Amino acid sequence: MTNSNPLDPRQLSQIADLRTSRRRFISRGALVLGGLAISPAILAACGGSNSSNSAGSTATTTGGVSLESLRGSSVSMFNWPLYIEADDPTTSPTLLGFTDSTGIKVDYLSNIDSNDGFYTKYQPDLAAGNGIGADLIVLTSWEAASMIEQGYIEAWDTNLFPNKANVLGPAASPEWDPGRTHSIPWVLGQTGIAYWPSKVGGTLNSVESLFDSKFKGKVTILDEMRDSVGLTMLGMGNDPTTGPIDQELAAVEKIKRARDAGQFRNITGNSYTEDLQLGDTWIAMAWSGDIASLKADNPDMANSIEFFIPTEGGMQFTDTAMIPVGAKNPAGATALMNYIYDPAIAGPLYEAINYVSPVSGAIDYMSEAAKKSIYINPAEDSKLYEFRILPPDQNEILSRAFTEATQQ
Amino acid sequence: MADSEETGSKPNRWHTPYLLLLPGLVALVVFFVVPLFAIAKLSLQSGGLSNYPNVLNKNWEVIVRTFEFAGLATIGAILIGYPLAYFIAMRGGRYKNLLLALVVLPFFVTYLVRTLAWKILLYDGGPAVSILHTLHVLPPDQGLLGTDFAVVFALLYNFLPFMVLPIYVSLEKLDRRLLEAAADLYASPQRAFRKVTLRLSLPGVFAGTLLTFIPASGDFINAELLGSDRQTMIGVIIEKNFGKEFFRPELSALSFMLMALILVGVLIYAKVLGTEEIA
Repeated sequence: MTNSNPLDPRQLSQIADLRTSRRRFISRGALVLGGLAISPAILAACGGSNSSNSAGSTATTTGGVSLESLRGSSVSMFNWPLYIEADDPTTSPTLLGFTDSTGIKVDYLSNIDSNDGFYTKYQPDLAAGNGIGADLIVLTSWEAASMIEQGYIEAWDTNLFPNKANVLGPAASPEWDPGRTHSIPWVLGQTGIAYWPSKVGGTLNSVESLFDSKFKGKVTILDEMRDSVGLTMLGMGNDPTTGPIDQELAAVEKIKRARDAGQFRNITGNSYTEDLQLGDTWIAMAWSGDIASLKADNPDMANSIEFFIPTEGGMQFTDTAMIPVGAKNPAGATALMNYIYDPAIAGPLYEAINYVSPVSGAIDYMSEAAKKSIYINPAEDSKLYEFRILPPDQNEILSRAFTEATQQ
Repeated sequence: MADSEETGSKPNRWHTPYLLLLPGLVALVVFFVVPLFAIAKLSLQSGGLSNYPNVLNKNWEVIVRTFEFAGLATIGAILIGYPLAYFIAMRGGRYKNLLLALVVLPFFVTYLVRTLAWKILLYDGGPAVSILHTLHVLPPDQGLLGTDFAVVFALLYNFLPFMVLPIYVSLEKLDRRLLEAAADLYASPQRAFRKVTLRLSLPGVFAGTLLTFIPASGDFINAELLGSDRQTMIGVIIEKNFGKEFFRPELSALSFMLMALILVGVLIYAKVLGTEEIA
């Protein structure tokens, strides 16, 4: 019952997640707009490491690498838990389908549980240009941005990646990776609020319910700075995609005051779902995927706990796939992402893992139930924001302030 | 022995003890001295020596709380563990081994799962809270999770065997004839216990205290799973923040502080107990 459910490691990561580019209205409408925004010109401009061939074609040759020549090779991928069907790569229809159609084997490991931890572990090898044993890795966008800036990431082979054009419009060209030459979203998730309608005695829809003294001692927020500060900023009418740091620090101050007043039952990352499940927590700042899994694993609770994106807006995180320097099979890695960016493949995958698909059109390949799920297809009017990418000095100031306000 | 002395090549014998010491020494250097040195070096980066007073200032409350929790858990473990060990050693009879096995049995289950299991027992809708509410021991709006009590209690529980076993060993090897002698000299049972049993079992208590207090001071699992942000211990601060590069020098300084404070505490404790066997 209290098993540290499979979400936990994932949560850690998600926590770490929010990003900077102005991303909102994740909805089919936005997808369509986004699709238009991604013009062939951008694609051409983002030529990969090898060459710029005719884009969009299923060309199988690029600088000497053809899809056919990759047959028999294998691709190694490091990812977060619960980011593939049933978290079992040996039975994943997506991975098996990829191997069937390309002859490329996938060595898939769910072994990433924290952005900071990943960086700590692999940074020396990446800096030295050594391989890390992976051809594809997935990190949250702010960490991805930092890795790209440091030169730890290889570019896609554009010619092996015609489906890159299917990336959702709002995610198509962040400032830190214009045209997505080096990165591509793996999943989009949201940070919103989960609660027990029966315990709070009604329906909630605002960030401010986290700070409502009626619920004193029954609220948990996340120990992940970007989630808690971002959501609090939205409640204060500020925009977390832009800062500035004064507004971010004001949000930290608000959290501190609420904490001192005993508003929060806990400020935690990896165990909030347990308290929520037990009913000790009435209202929790929560990651969408966790609540989706919690409900899926406990059908009896499906109607007891509700999740919503606040009317003021919710936070969004983008976990992003990239090829680390020193990868042995970058072409195979690109081919795998190209396969997943086929909407017909992405549809069932994202339905199974309960996250918003970054692949435009994937929703058309999902069941009616999935189309109605707010975890997979958030309401068109839900506003989602990614935390801005903080310059290192501001990151330090804010992290210190947040740590002091929430831990010490 | 005498034989080998005669046949053994004498010139080589002087270094035998050193050779025997070598594996342990190598392990000590590789797994203890080197990492310690690395942490010391890290603690002096970006801020240098001032990291130490800084970190002390910022985390003063957390440090005090950490030692308070670890100390209370240790005292609790002595109060519960001593009578238990005494009973097993003196009255256990043929059930001695069974009783010892029972003490250790829960620890075949992993630490994490055991601690999480306590969460089920202690949560607001769980058995412990409802019993305490019924008995009016606990005010109706008060729970157990996220309180100092829950964390201290969990520390006590998780480290209890480390207290019981050393005390048991010291009581077990106690020469019973000394107690008979005390009785022969007209000491009351209480007096015999105080003057003989307790004295002779102090090394066990001392060892148990170290084995309980030191790891409890560095623990973060109990505070994180059963406590809340109001029960933050030093281990939690380190665990949560070490991934951020700019925090590392301070956190390294913090762990050195923790080590130094424990060391001082232990030295004082040894001095106060004053038993030579301990040293």
